Amino acid sequence: MGRDLLEETGGGAVRIMIVGSGAVGYHLSEKFSEEGHDVVLVDRDQKKLRRIERELNVLPICGSGASTKVLEEAGIDHTDLFIAVTDSDEVNLVACIISKNYNVKTRIARVRNEDFYSHNTSLNEATLGIDLLISPDRAIVDEILRLSSLTGAFEAAEFADGRVVLFGHTVREDDVNAGKTLTEIRGTMGVIVAIIRDEKTIIPRGHDRINPGDRVYIVARKSDIGTDGSKFSVVNQPPKNVFIIGGGSIGYLVARRMEQQKIEVRLIEQDTERCDFLVENLERAVVLNFDGFEAHDLLDEGIDQADLVVSVTDSDTANILSSLLAKHHGAKKCITRISRPDFIPLLSKLGIDVALSPRMVAANMILRFVRTGTGIVSVASLLGSDAEVLELKVPDTDRFRKVPLQSLEFPKGAVLGAIVRKTKNKVVIPTGTTVLKPHDSLVIFALKDAAAKVTEFFTE
Amino acid sequence: MKTDGVLNILGKLMLLISLCLLTPIPFSFYYHDGMAASFVLAALIGAFMGGFLVAAFVPREDLGYRDGFAVVVLSWLALAFLGGLPFYFSGEMPSFVDCFFEAMSGFTTTGSTILSKVEVLPMSVLFWRALTHWIGGMGIIVLSLAVLPLLGVGGMQLYQAEMPGPTKDRLAPRMQDTARILWGVYVLITAVEVVLLMLGGLSFFDALCHSFATLATGGFSTYTASAGYFDSVYVETVIIVFMFVAGINFSLHYQGLLRGNFAAYWQSEEFRFYSALVVIAILLICVANLEHGVYSTIGETVRTASFQVVSIITTTGFGTADFDQWPPVCKVLLVGLMFIGGCAGSTGGGIKVVRLLLFLKYARLQLRNLVHPNAVGIIKMGKVKVPQDVMVGILGFFAIYVAVLIVGVVAVTATGVDIVTGFTAVVATLNNIGPGLMEVGPARNFGGLPDTAKVVLVFCMLAGRLELYTLAVLFTPDFWKMARRPRFRWQE
Repeated sequence: MGRDLLEETGGGAVRIMIVGSGAVGYHLSEKFSEEGHDVVLVDRDQKKLRRIERELNVLPICGSGASTKVLEEAGIDHTDLFIAVTDSDEVNLVACIISKNYNVKTRIARVRNEDFYSHNTSLNEATLGIDLLISPDRAIVDEILRLSSLTGAFEAAEFADGRVVLFGHTVREDDVNAGKTLTEIRGTMGVIVAIIRDEKTIIPRGHDRINPGDRVYIVARKSDIGTDGSKFSVVNQPPKNVFIIGGGSIGYLVARRMEQQKIEVRLIEQDTERCDFLVENLERAVVLNFDGFEAHDLLDEGIDQADLVVSVTDSDTANILSSLLAKHHGAKKCITRISRPDFIPLLSKLGIDVALSPRMVAANMILRFVRTGTGIVSVASLLGSDAEVLELKVPDTDRFRKVPLQSLEFPKGAVLGAIVRKTKNKVVIPTGTTVLKPHDSLVIFALKDAAAKVTEFFTE
Repeated sequence: MKTDGVLNILGKLMLLISLCLLTPIPFSFYYHDGMAASFVLAALIGAFMGGFLVAAFVPREDLGYRDGFAVVVLSWLALAFLGGLPFYFSGEMPSFVDCFFEAMSGFTTTGSTILSKVEVLPMSVLFWRALTHWIGGMGIIVLSLAVLPLLGVGGMQLYQAEMPGPTKDRLAPRMQDTARILWGVYVLITAVEVVLLMLGGLSFFDALCHSFATLATGGFSTYTASAGYFDSVYVETVIIVFMFVAGINFSLHYQGLLRGNFAAYWQSEEFRFYSALVVIAILLICVANLEHGVYSTIGETVRTASFQVVSIITTTGFGTADFDQWPPVCKVLLVGLMFIGGCAGSTGGGIKVVRLLLFLKYARLQLRNLVHPNAVGIIKMGKVKVPQDVMVGILGFFAIYVAVLIVGVVAVTATGVDIVTGFTAVVATLNNIGPGLMEVGPARNFGGLPDTAKVVLVFCMLAGRLELYTLAVLFTPDFWKMARRPRFRWQE
């Protein structure tokens, strides 16, 4: 149902109502209004709305999202997309249920309560009539597991049913490819679609050099990512030895999923009662009862030998400090939860490999769900940079037939990363002489400004 | 403040103004007044300056509301500079200060003129003079938001700096759509007035120019005798009605005229207060004028009183009578009305009816608290509680208003102008009305004032049009401490 929503209107403005102006609501409002859609933001906090009115081109309405009167006043009658992302599950659900009386095309609700996600519940997406239920905690757990298997990647997204991977990687001194130009690397592995240097995203050309400290985005066949680190120090291998600091709902879910993959997990939680719950519900993971700040205890348990440290307590400070400690003592990789997304760019400088904000992950998941249009199969919005990855189908027009890629006037600011051939069902890494065929699936990396041009380029 | 981004946008706005400068050319050809080349030259100067700014400075997407203040003030100054060029080229105004004054008076919809005889100007320049009103009435930023996708993300911050006001009406989620609706309403009402005036026997040219000046609550006429030239009850009635309309919040017109919800007018407390003020003022002035026997018939008294009252309270400044000859009580009443101005969200200037209304409510609440010290009191507008910070903003507005008024009067009288002239000149420009009393009365003009006084008055006009805060903030050291060194394109 949510599919092709943004496409149907022929690229015109879609009217979107967002209830709740927290981190998720703010991020979504910002993205949608930048794209030129009509956004109405409903929240109860007048002060927050005043700030938003100054910063964003949206219409703020003060009131409860669970009130019919407020929603009507906000113009729910001609709203196409309704997103309820307040902190309260109940308000979100009630708001979505109210919206069913109106001509809303798509409904999305943020629901934290785990009960709504179990398989045999009577209250699921279908019975509630909500197109997407999203839980920030679950979203971040998925993200952590995806990233955990790619050692050395700070960001990863899968395309074409998981056969193509886009990953971000910070180039180290000892990388085989450090210091080489793109032309020299060509053919060894995938396509380098972007280099982030000094906070700037560069779409590289053949003569550009890769320096240690650069953050590079690479599109590659999943099967090409080696297990030995001979190409980049990115290895497709699940970690063996994982420390999870913080046994809240995220830590618990990560631990449970990891122990099912036979990974050795140590879960650190300072609350004794919570520990009882964790021990009861986990099978193999070792639950340790101490504070994540206890450096001595952490070292004692061998955090210096860890393949991965996941810091997911409720405190940003604790997460950052324990990650820094682990990295300092030699842990290979750390994933850190941080609730303030503004600090994410800063953390990579401190040496923290991956910083994730549950709300940003959830907001990006909603964006991906909404943007998925007829031509576009999936969209990943990259957390750390102003870029997006689109998956598009080549239309059946003469424009692309028998024309090699180098003679196509491809939009600036965009790079073709991979082609999935439907006929032979294989992944082709493109070069200048590659010719596109109708119905090929393309994985394209595009800067924010270029994304719309790319879509236009392929939809004629 | 991102200086480079600000200057880049300023350049783009100057390009837009240059385009506007080309619009009088058809009139020039029609009336053979030989001004076409001058307008092209003025447009080229604007295009060159704007083009230079756009070419030199790096554009910025992320302009903050702080940048909005600078862009708006600078663009209004640029507007008056470029708008003054045609007057200068016409040769009828030898001093450029006069031209700058006249153009600023036009764009800020003030309507104060330095010309003792308006008819000397070529027809196309007269048209340009009226057009400056019309452009300025809704605002250059709002215009560019409505017609061009020029301003991008920063447009919203600019909108807020140009359309301040204590209450904000957003008619659509996106600023661009709100701007488009407002301009749509504006154009529509203007067109209706043009037609009605032409039915009253005016030429298309006169009807158009007077409609521009009415809807913008400006006051420039194409005749020295102003609207009194036509000496027609019909024409005066049409102008009175449209001045009154222009003084109403335009979002009410959108609700009422375009959506058919006429009850919206009466539901607005500001509108009711505004109407009451107009009626009471007309009655008082009629009584006073009858008492003093200024006019021989009751009809004449009502006709002149209603025209003058509506013209002054909406800050238009058209005249059909020389109120400087009226009894003192009427003059005081009219000067009092000058301060009030139109409703928020209208094209009128002044303090704005809504601010006065809230101020009075606040005063009443204070008095009630003296009688009932423990009473819980809130201030409501219509049925909605007015937030505390809005009230604080209004009290702050009054403080700055009084300060600007005093500084203005001191500066103008320091140039040797007498008290009444100096005071009413500042009041008339700060509230964007037009004529004052004595030397600057309805039958006189601002031409006799010293150049220094004219420059001070130009700032008063701008301060009034941008409702003080936007201009005043540029005079705070804190603002300039936030300014960053501009980056040029060649430094990229």
